[in-house]
Amino acid sequence: MEQFFGVTGNLLLGFAENMKLFFATLLFSIPLGLIIAIFLLSKFKPLKILFEIIVWIVRGTPLMLQLFVVFYVPGIVFDIPMRNRFMAALLAFVINYACYFAEIFRGGILSIPVGQYEAGRVLGMTKSEIFFRITLMQVIKRIVPPMGNEIITLVKDTSLARVIAVSEIIMSATEYSAVGLIWPLFYTGAFFLIFNGLLTILLGKLEKKLDYYKG
Amino acid sequence: MAVLEVKNLKKSFGANTVLKGISFSLERGEVLSIIGSSGGGKTTLLRCLNFLEIADEGEIIVDGESVFHIDADGKACVPQNSGEYMGLVFQQFNLFPQYSVMDNLTLAPKLAAKKRPNYKQEKKEIISQIEEQAREMLKITGLSDKESSYPCQLSGGQQQRVAIARALMMSPEILCFDEPTSALDPELTGEVLKVIKSLKDSDRTMIIVTHEMDFARSVSDKVMFVSDGVIEEMGTPDELLVNPKSEKIKSFLSLIKKDGI
Repeated sequence: MEQFFGVTGNLLLGFAENMKLFFATLLFSIPLGLIIAIFLLSKFKPLKILFEIIVWIVRGTPLMLQLFVVFYVPGIVFDIPMRNRFMAALLAFVINYACYFAEIFRGGILSIPVGQYEAGRVLGMTKSEIFFRITLMQVIKRIVPPMGNEIITLVKDTSLARVIAVSEIIMSATEYSAVGLIWPLFYTGAFFLIFNGLLTILLGKLEKKLDYYKG
Repeated sequence: MAVLEVKNLKKSFGANTVLKGISFSLERGEVLSIIGSSGGGKTTLLRCLNFLEIADEGEIIVDGESVFHIDADGKACVPQNSGEYMGLVFQQFNLFPQYSVMDNLTLAPKLAAKKRPNYKQEKKEIISQIEEQAREMLKITGLSDKESSYPCQLSGGQQQRVAIARALMMSPEILCFDEPTSALDPELTGEVLKVIKSLKDSDRTMIIVTHEMDFARSVSDKVMFVSDGVIEEMGTPDELLVNPKSEKIKSFLSLIKKDGI
């Protein structure tokens, strides 16, 4: 029993790293994703193509590889070694998730009927007023389910940070398995399950809250 | 003096010339119905008048003021505050689904009011003034009890009446309608047409693209038949709908009668 509490405490410390990475990634990648989505929809071709290529690279390669690249490449190529492992992981996660979020935002924006935009125009609203007061609110309602999907994936993906030695929960558990104690490794699943369960409830509530109108 | 003068308006989409030079004028308080078969350029004309499409050539003059023209460099000059000149009611209503009826009406005026220099000092009065005006518009359109409803809770006819009230909020010189009843079930068109008629009685200048010939006849001072991007004929409802000179109008009208529309 004493061992159980000891392990739980250590794993919780590890999971705190996962949570830090999770919330910080969300905080930065959602606005960044929205900006990238706007670039992807830009009528200025060079900008659009540049970001299409970036999204292609980021979505087309493994996140694990991107973690290595962000951690090692600045040191190797520019001679500025990444000293902070957590910041390196965060940077890789933000870029990776912003690209996925951008595609979700882009789809959401495209799904809004052009009549909404035109109605704003004939009422004398500016482009940004139309985007923030009319379009964006409708986009948010439509993208809650696919965003929820990505957000839940992000929770689990945070454990990938161990490849650049961020001491997240699975890395903490492997310290036990290295000395022959295997159950803490499996026990980590409970942390993810409980947290994702809470997230699912929260996302459901959000969906319900936005259900006050149709369209 | 004419409230609206349109001079030689032209518009092409690629190789497809949709408007081939449209000129007409409208007196204050007049109601103009635009009829014609689809693809003839009616809707494009209305969209050009509302600056949703930018005409390639021509001039639009509202109240003696040139609000649209092509300058010497060939650039189109479009007004910033187009909503003061032209209002548009869409076929598909295009209400904002996330806002209540009240907010649909007040959103644009409130945003516009923020740009006024005295907004900060007189915020409360300005906002209550806008809301007062919105209630007035809802009264005109017979929706006073729907103030806090959402669009999805209303029938198509009620939604279109909200759209009319919303367009009126901007007090446009000229109010345009793009087939305002085409998306409605037949039993709901009456209530919308009734509102449009009541606006005529209050001397509002209106341009209506419509397929409702009986309505066009009863509400219009002028009727315009647009075909192949030009005005085939323009005149009083009786001239055009009862005794048309043009063969095109005759065959158009007989087709419509045959279909019982």
